[in-house]
Amino acid sequence: MIFNYIKIAWRNLVKQKLFSLINITGLAVGLAVCMMIMMYVTHESSYDRFHKNAERIFNPHVGFKMGGTSVNMAFMSYAAADIMKQKQPAVADYNRTMAYFKPVVASNPEKPDSKYSESKLLFADANFFNFFSFKLVSGNASTVLNRPFTVVLSEDMSKKYFGDENPIGKLITLKTDSAFTYQVTGVAQNNPSNSSIEFNFVTSNLSLLTMKEAKLYTGAKEISFGNFSVYLLLNHASDTVALRRSLDLMAKHDKTFDNVHYYLAALPDSHLKSNFGDSSNTKYLKIFPLVAILILLLALVNYMSLSTARATLRAKEVGVRKVAGASRKTIATQFYVESAMFATISFVLGYLLCYAFKPWFLNVLQLKIDDTFLYSPTVLILLFALLILTILIAGSYPSLVLSAFKPVATLKGKMGKSTGGVVVRKVFTTLQFAISVGLIICGIVIDRQLYYFRHVDTGVSRENVVMIPVHNTFGNNYLAFRQDVKSLSGIESAATSHYPMFKGYDMNQFTGKTKDENIMLASLLGDDQYIKTLGLKWKYAPAAGEKLAGTDRIVINEAAIEKLHLPANPIGSYAQSGNQKVRVIGVLKNFNFSSLQSDISGMVLNVEPDQYLFSPRDGCNLYARIKPYTNIPTLLQKMEAIYKKYDKDTPFEYTFMDDAFNAQYKAEDRLASIFSVFTYITIILATLGLFGLAAFTIEQRTKEIGIRKVLGASLVSINTLLSRDFLVLVVLSITIASPIAWWAMHKWLEGFAYRITISWWMFAVAGLAAIITAIVTVSYHAIKAGIANPVDSLRSE
Amino acid sequence: MSKNEVGDGSTMIKITDLEKFYRTEEVETIALNKLSIEIKTGEFVAIMGPSGCGKSTLLNILGMLDDPDEGSYVFNGIEVAHFTERKRADLRKHNIGFVFQSFNLIDELTVFENVELPLIYTGVPSAERVKRVEEVLDKMQIMHRRNHYPQQLSGGQQQRVAIARAVVNKPKLILADEPTGNLDSSNGNDVMELLTDLNEQGTTIIMVTHSEHDARYSHRIIRLLDGQSVMENIMI
Ligand SMILES: Nc1ncnc2c1ncn2[C@@H]1O[C@H](COP(=O)(O)OP(=O)(O)O)[C@@H](O)[C@H]1O
Ligand SMILES: [Mg+2]
Repeated sequence: MIFNYIKIAWRNLVKQKLFSLINITGLAVGLAVCMMIMMYVTHESSYDRFHKNAERIFNPHVGFKMGGTSVNMAFMSYAAADIMKQKQPAVADYNRTMAYFKPVVASNPEKPDSKYSESKLLFADANFFNFFSFKLVSGNASTVLNRPFTVVLSEDMSKKYFGDENPIGKLITLKTDSAFTYQVTGVAQNNPSNSSIEFNFVTSNLSLLTMKEAKLYTGAKEISFGNFSVYLLLNHASDTVALRRSLDLMAKHDKTFDNVHYYLAALPDSHLKSNFGDSSNTKYLKIFPLVAILILLLALVNYMSLSTARATLRAKEVGVRKVAGASRKTIATQFYVESAMFATISFVLGYLLCYAFKPWFLNVLQLKIDDTFLYSPTVLILLFALLILTILIAGSYPSLVLSAFKPVATLKGKMGKSTGGVVVRKVFTTLQFAISVGLIICGIVIDRQLYYFRHVDTGVSRENVVMIPVHNTFGNNYLAFRQDVKSLSGIESAATSHYPMFKGYDMNQFTGKTKDENIMLASLLGDDQYIKTLGLKWKYAPAAGEKLAGTDRIVINEAAIEKLHLPANPIGSYAQSGNQKVRVIGVLKNFNFSSLQSDISGMVLNVEPDQYLFSPRDGCNLYARIKPYTNIPTLLQKMEAIYKKYDKDTPFEYTFMDDAFNAQYKAEDRLASIFSVFTYITIILATLGLFGLAAFTIEQRTKEIGIRKVLGASLVSINTLLSRDFLVLVVLSITIASPIAWWAMHKWLEGFAYRITISWWMFAVAGLAAIITAIVTVSYHAIKAGIANPVDSLRSE
Repeated sequence: MSKNEVGDGSTMIKITDLEKFYRTEEVETIALNKLSIEIKTGEFVAIMGPSGCGKSTLLNILGMLDDPDEGSYVFNGIEVAHFTERKRADLRKHNIGFVFQSFNLIDELTVFENVELPLIYTGVPSAERVKRVEEVLDKMQIMHRRNHYPQQLSGGQQQRVAIARAVVNKPKLILADEPTGNLDSSNGNDVMELLTDLNEQGTTIIMVTHSEHDARYSHRIIRLLDGQSVMENIMI
């Protein structure tokens, strides 16, 4: 029987090619998007769950108040973990890791000529491979790291430096503050893409401790914040409450900061909940499932709408079957089987589409997802669930509507206009267009906001400024380097800064009116060319002949005047920073030194004398303003040559300041590009749906159109007549979508200190786009019906 | 008025050697085969013949819904055989009314709205439309049904609405394709009386019918066979 159903379903599919094509591709596209988002979201929320003890591993975070600002630190001192284990019986074990903060130069001593700059050098406690569940391809998990200067390579690194040879026992050189040679004791599988702990090389903390720079990282001898990620393995996941309480008790004795308290973050949560590092992928993670559901809904609605519409054409078949003795149940089953078949074909097609577009999608998100993850049981189960859900929903409504047809009415060919769920189809169409219009509006707002970000005058002239990080490996050569760059013909000016622009700043603490009032201001460190190179404007310029550099003086911005309770023109006033009195020598007009998502806060610019510019730990950054009409690639080559003169091992890197500025909106950029694709897809789906529905509705009305033509109706009047009904729905959908989109975008924009105002034209454009799409789509069929000879449509009785 | 004195005696329709073919993938059907007919203004003509002999095809061409493949068709002195669709539509909506066997009323429109349609398409102003539709509904004795939908009416009533719609524009020619085919004899006779009345008021009527009884209402019967006129009977 089922076979018979499938046979009939197949015949119907082939007989109504256009309809089948629209129906299957529509659903397939929707499913493909849904699958892609599903994989992405599943991947994001599967982070770190592969560890055997994932549920019992926690990261302590410390929070405190510093000058009125809450600070949350995820990194702890080296000593912290040990003390916690000693004093807290709940802590069974711990592991501390420190990801080296910059790339290192790696080489195989047997091939000293091939050196590469490698990232992801991880220092960890010796029990790393037992504590976590990273798999070793070779080497013994308990012993690989128990001596200093032993290293475990990832498979990629093993292949890169040792080819097909077995690297165990071989040597590899990694240059941190100076070059150290490590013995390879193990090879680990590359860390999974859903691991928040990433590594190319894992070596033990014992190695780090022997390095000169170690004292920069180990920090206080007590529980305090520092540079290490601390992972505590608790005896029971439920121990966290008690543990937090006793950590807070211990913190009471900490007098350095106010309000010190501890959090424990479960390892699997740390990826999504952390606000550290690049959060551009997790920021909008919540939106994606919503969009996926909307698109799937749209595709399913499309499918059902078309199926029921088409089904009325098969009313006669249903009638005949019923007269021949079929029960409603048999007929419902038949249409269910048919739907299931269509849905399965769509699903397979959708999966292929998803597979084909996956690389693009991952590229936009700047994301890596292991292939093994895509075939993991979780994903397969979810895909299967999606298939079942699709079949269930896609089949339900059409089979319900169809099986309800009354045989007598249908046999007379009198499909009253009330059958086939006209109202439901109208609701469906309205819903589809409402979603499309809503997405178009959101897309326009997001696009405008990003455009605004890129083009708003931030007070920093950020075009044509290249930023070159100079590392601690530069030694005493920085000033010579700066001089060499300055003297290049394409360079207008060059300045030094501690941090790359838009990528960070320090906080300086000032004392307010009373001793207890701590004022925190953002602090930029630069040289006396900083202001000129960035094109910053003075509000109150320093007195003529005043030197900018000096530790006894500061330049502030307008916002800082009020913060520091200084007079309106504060030139010559003093502020108290720590135990030093500093004189305000100039006030800069407010400019954006960080993301436009936040307002401009109070800032001090500490202009350092040349000898203090280069930090032995962090190095510094050179900002070079390039003259207009310079051949930039050649200039960069020259700069690289100069750079190599002073530091031949560390790779030459550069960033343009406007790129760095734009990079702050990475999350929003990704949101925008994904959004625009989703919007196109929804529009295509809605249009396909309307196309099919119009084809059908108009086909149903051919007789009426014929009569009207006989009575003298013109093509225009027929087109108007047919389009009007659909336009009413589209206008209705615009009315529904606009306030919802307005509200959503209003909320989104609230997250930005600098934002556009939502204006009427955005709604008008979206509405117009929908109306035009609808008119074109419907007119195609309307005109086709309008030019047909009425004799043909009236003859059929 | 005697049945022989027909109108003013001028020629309304003159077709000469009219041909119409239908080509499908396998066969070519000759629906009209060098047919020549002349019809005078004010005549009431019945067309008879077996099923498939080309009666409807002829009516469609006469009604300018379709164009012939060969031959000439002169309507009121104008050669229309090769008119553009637009010109034909224009000529049609001012001069010709149609009545079909299956009524062809629009289900979504009320009786009033159905009858109003031709007036809308010829651009009659709204107030005038109401007057004329009511007038004709009154004449057809279906005024009390003006707000009903076609499904709510009996076959005879539906056909009266269809006739009302055909005459509301005061056409010079009414083409009726088996107007009584779907009606019982009593309702059928009513319809025939209506057509006769219209004819007596000067409207030319061409009616396809299978019923010898109905054909007797006409002045003349044209009998078709395989797309050719085989006989003409003048009714006395
Ligand atoms: N649209 C068409 N396509 C193909 N053949 C047609 C078409 N319309 C009519 N015919 C053929 O032309 C012939 C005349 O048809 P018609 O005028 O409808 O006959 P009648 O009305 O006398 O029964 C028939 O053989 C019919 O099959
Ligand atoms: Mg016929």
